[in-house]
Amino acid sequence: MSFDLVRTELTQILTDKSASVVEITPDTVLLNGPLDIDSLDLATLVVTLEEVTGLQPFREGFVLFHTAGELGALFTKAAG
Amino acid sequence: MSLSLDARFELIEGGQVFTAADLRARAETTTSLAIAEGDQPVADLIAALIATQANGTDLFVQRNFSADIPVPDQSGRVWLQTSGTTGTPKWAGHDLAKLTQKIAAGSGAKARWLLTYHPFSFAGVQVVLSALIGGHTLIAPPLNASVGDMAVLAEVTQPTHISGTPTFWRAFLMAAPDLDLKGVTLGGEATDQGLLDALRTRFPNAHIRHIYATTEAGVVFTVSDGKAGFPAAWLNDTLAITEHNTLNVDGRDTNDAVIIDDDRVLFRGRLDSMVNIGGVKVFPEEVEAYLLTCPVVRDVRISARPNPITGHILTAEIALDLSADEGEVRAQIKAHINALPRAQRPVSLAFVAAIPYGETGKKSRAAS
Repeated sequence: MSFDLVRTELTQILTDKSASVVEITPDTVLLNGPLDIDSLDLATLVVTLEEVTGLQPFREGFVLFHTAGELGALFTKAAG
Repeated sequence: MSLSLDARFELIEGGQVFTAADLRARAETTTSLAIAEGDQPVADLIAALIATQANGTDLFVQRNFSADIPVPDQSGRVWLQTSGTTGTPKWAGHDLAKLTQKIAAGSGAKARWLLTYHPFSFAGVQVVLSALIGGHTLIAPPLNASVGDMAVLAEVTQPTHISGTPTFWRAFLMAAPDLDLKGVTLGGEATDQGLLDALRTRFPNAHIRHIYATTEAGVVFTVSDGKAGFPAAWLNDTLAITEHNTLNVDGRDTNDAVIIDDDRVLFRGRLDSMVNIGGVKVFPEEVEAYLLTCPVVRDVRISARPNPITGHILTAEIALDLSADEGEVRAQIKAHINALPRAQRPVSLAFVAAIPYGETGKKSRAAS
């Protein structure tokens, strides 16, 4: 899965909640960074990515990630 | 005396430091109602707790303003509001002696606790009382602080101990504050091994423990070996597994589904449909009933999907009224959903021709 999909879906979530849409790069920190999102928004992003890709990188439990790029990489890894 | 305020206690709230003496003085002018508003709600709560202890009056800890204050029965109890998912919150009275009975008095080492729970919740009051009696420093974030805000506050104030839900901890780890914790406590939701491992890696010097508690029994056990679940050797007459594989505590079925894996008892969600979403208890049936009040919704099934951030999240399958057009009503349904508390909102909507019913006539609601 490409990082572009993370960026697209994240932008959609920001737009839906009328938050300011900033430029998202692979290094953009998801929580406590420049984005106006919280845990429930991030959960929404993960569900959306799971539904779009059919992949479940968190099947075995929590895996720590900080940035948009790291989240994308977890999906890429799950794709095998 | 059940609430012995240790003289070394300090509260840091709203950029101000309150000593034990400051809070005793504040208690002289307080009422038997603590209200979750203003700049120093935790200082107000502590002053009210001290006054309640001194006067034997009832204390009403009001978190949600839609709940009427009941008539005090002068039992000297602390009344907290239960977190009802719908309708008006209910009041539950607690004896101060019982709230404090498992808290150890200060043993010398002074810790710095960050308060991550709402201070007027049951878990929040427990943290406040632990810090008071133990003679620690309590760092109280503003009431509406996000986990990100708490991470920033933590970097500035450098707590040594933090207690929070697994959902809090996942978000806190992602926010990555520069801290060296000595104590990490998890409670309120089942903890998975991945989170415990991530906490161990991030806080190598911390004592990490997870707590299992129920509303009726309070804290049932604490697990400190770094593994999810608890040792099967702990099972006994008062902590048993029922014939339908749920945990029974003091003869009461908790509805928490468990399995035994080697020498370990692991949690596997709920027997009833309740799910924990970011620490909030949610019943999918209630959300279904609410969605059915939307005129274009003919039938709906709400499912709880496991999620690495908030434990679970809700998704919805919707069968529309036959005259409705999918493209036109999506916004209408979303607006309807947005009137729900956030944890109860389904995050994805799938439109289906019909909701399948099982042989029992119930909607099949798979646990995962």
